[in-house]
Amino acid sequence: MSQGRFVAKRVLQGVGVVWGVVSIVFLLRFITPGSAINAVAPLDADQETRQAIARELGLDQPLHVQYGDYLVSLLQGDMGFSYVRGQEVTTLVFSKVPATVELAVAATVVAIGLSIPLGVVSATRRNQPVDWLATLFSLAGISTPNFWLGIMLILVLAVQLGIFQTSGRAVAAVEVAAAVVGPASFVKTLRLWLAHITLPAVALGTYFTALVTRLTRSGMLDELGKPYVRAARAKGLPEAMVRYKHALRNTLIPVITVLGLQLGTLIGGAVITEAVFSWPGLGTLVIRSINLRDWPVLQGSLIVIGTSFVLVNILVDVVYSSLDPRVVND
Amino acid sequence: MDSEDTATATDSAAGFDVTVTMGQMDSGLDPQDHAETNTNIIVSQAYEGLMDRDKEGGIVAALATDWERVEPGVARFTLRDGVTFHDGDPLTAEDVAYSIRRIVFNDVGIASPQSTDLGTLKSREADGPPPVEPGDGEVTVRFDGLNPIVFQLFATNGEILQQSWVEENGEDYINRNTNGTGPFRLSEYASGNRVVFERNEEYWGDVPEVTETTLNASTESSTRVNRLLAEESEIVTNVPPQEVARVNESDAAEISSVPSTRIIFLQMRYDVEPFSSQEFRQALNYAVDVEEIVENVLNGFGSITSQPTLEQFVGHNPDLDPYPYDPERAEELVEESGFAGAEITLETPIGRYLKDVEIAQAAASQISELSNVTCEVEQREFNALVQDVTASSIEDRPRFNLLGWGNAEFDASQTITPLLSSTGDLTMLKNDEIDGLLADAESEADPEAREETLQEANARLNELAPWVFMHQQFSVYGTSTDISWEPRADEFIDVDTVSQM
Repeated sequence: MSQGRFVAKRVLQGVGVVWGVVSIVFLLRFITPGSAINAVAPLDADQETRQAIARELGLDQPLHVQYGDYLVSLLQGDMGFSYVRGQEVTTLVFSKVPATVELAVAATVVAIGLSIPLGVVSATRRNQPVDWLATLFSLAGISTPNFWLGIMLILVLAVQLGIFQTSGRAVAAVEVAAAVVGPASFVKTLRLWLAHITLPAVALGTYFTALVTRLTRSGMLDELGKPYVRAARAKGLPEAMVRYKHALRNTLIPVITVLGLQLGTLIGGAVITEAVFSWPGLGTLVIRSINLRDWPVLQGSLIVIGTSFVLVNILVDVVYSSLDPRVVND
Repeated sequence: MDSEDTATATDSAAGFDVTVTMGQMDSGLDPQDHAETNTNIIVSQAYEGLMDRDKEGGIVAALATDWERVEPGVARFTLRDGVTFHDGDPLTAEDVAYSIRRIVFNDVGIASPQSTDLGTLKSREADGPPPVEPGDGEVTVRFDGLNPIVFQLFATNGEILQQSWVEENGEDYINRNTNGTGPFRLSEYASGNRVVFERNEEYWGDVPEVTETTLNASTESSTRVNRLLAEESEIVTNVPPQEVARVNESDAAEISSVPSTRIIFLQMRYDVEPFSSQEFRQALNYAVDVEEIVENVLNGFGSITSQPTLEQFVGHNPDLDPYPYDPERAEELVEESGFAGAEITLETPIGRYLKDVEIAQAAASQISELSNVTCEVEQREFNALVQDVTASSIEDRPRFNLLGWGNAEFDASQTITPLLSSTGDLTMLKNDEIDGLLADAESEADPEAREETLQEANARLNELAPWVFMHQQFSVYGTSTDISWEPRADEFIDVDTVSQM
């Protein structure tokens, strides 16, 4: 199978997954107790007002009509109108994507930046103090709930020491980039951005860091014991080349898979971290939409999250197939 | 991070900035297309109605300088001169008339969830002059019936929009932008993140001292308090009892509380056993120690009630006392009711009202301490509970549930009519005497006579005990010691009244 066909197959599977998500979420609204009308109308709204709101929102139509209309609109790129906010879902959902992606990428950068060097050092200095420290760190990182870590980070580093902001997102990463050439002070914008994103990125990335550290350490130990490493060393290759060009490259194959899957999870699953830090991303939007029964926004958010997950997975598969061409033929 | 980097209180020659952190953000900026407090707080910075309320709930002038009942069922508002919208256009009587029509009539722009908030207007199909008639600097509104509380309703509801601005722009635009007459104009709207207003230098009233105000939200109460203590916000809403000490111990902030317009109660359906018995309903009132619940669960932030109408409202009966905690009397009344051994379930929303689950659990536990009644708690997701509470037929409604009711109109009828009259959309009671008293109040033009009628209804309701009368909820805010601000009874946050210490 060529790599092109391999990717096409993955894309088709992804479309099926997203369609499945849309359909399941759409059907769930009919078995979930509560109605969007209750989120829009006051408690004492009379039946006439409730019916008028239902008509306006299209909720008086039968299930199959609503489903058909929704799919047709979706194919035209229209995710509909928010029941509660009176805003276009496409605009609303995509306005949250940058915040979520920014946080996920920041958490991933924290994780990669710490975990791979830590894992490598830990493996190459096995049973030495640095290995024990790294093992202890990864155990603590995996065991610590990120909401607790987030609260502690806020209390110590934001409230007590005042180094970082407690919550919120004052500027976007793109504004920092724009400040390089624009009129705003780059240093000031960068400091403001770092003051807001550092704590949530660390809270979100800690589990991930610990996981990848362990994975890198065990992968490296495994690779370093293999015959090809002995052969490379026997051939007289420098130790750095043996470790980083040969052993680390092979270690990275499962690490990249985990990184990719975790990035997808971070995009859709940073709900608790977003809540603790009032980070205005997709997770916060999903929770609010569930509470308000704002189904169009919920569906739109899940489509974007599902699509992101699928895209990240395809990307991982492509990278994986480049690192190990045998995958394409499996 | 120093303070000049944050969008918070910064001194400047022209004033200072204030950040307000609430529990939730807005659900769009259309002031007529929502029915919830957080959105009200945000849009009220930019929009105004014909009338307004002061901190205690008293009626004051806003876009109308004068109002009168020209005849039964007809109210006339004289508009303030020289008012302009934020885009510079003058306020006209046509704008006011359009705004009222847009709220009331489902075919004018939107199906507004506030359509009943101004009272029932005369039908447009009826003979004679139209229900809303713009004139020269005035607007006349005609109702179906007397509408004795027309001015209470207009003091709380009915924000005014500019007709041409609404008609030229779509719903999405109106929900992301503002064009009001209020003390602040919108400068940034980041949906779900923050809304920033700058002061309106052309405001018809006193121009606020606050230069810029940012309204944002944190669902987590601890995050709101952290923002306050880190001096990132000047006002935070809904500080829970367990966080009060942390705020009070800080030098940066303090607690401000005020009795709100929300009453919390346990309602019982009159048509099902054992709640069909007045003795049984009274027994539950004697069985629950509300004072202890307020003290221990709410840290004292609540006051005990004796009737459906709160103390500062029109129609409150000052002669009524709350039911005392008397479990022995409760057991006797249960025996008299013939329902000894009853097993009942109290349904409660989760997280909708301050400490709702804990309050329900405490009340149920006290009821279960009676030797002849057992009470369990069933926790319900709020939207699901509301689905049942608002069911069109009373047979589909819960038998016994905790509920809260906000009444920003400060009038007894706005609680009793929807919740305790036989035609109420949420009623759990059918009683001819109460219906008769409400009908009398509805047709009584003399305010004093009307208030006496409503007081009589409250006395009768105290006796009928359709609810276990619980407490009046307090609004608890954390405020920075850098500012001076008095909270309002109606839960609005009037940033234009904030001054610097």
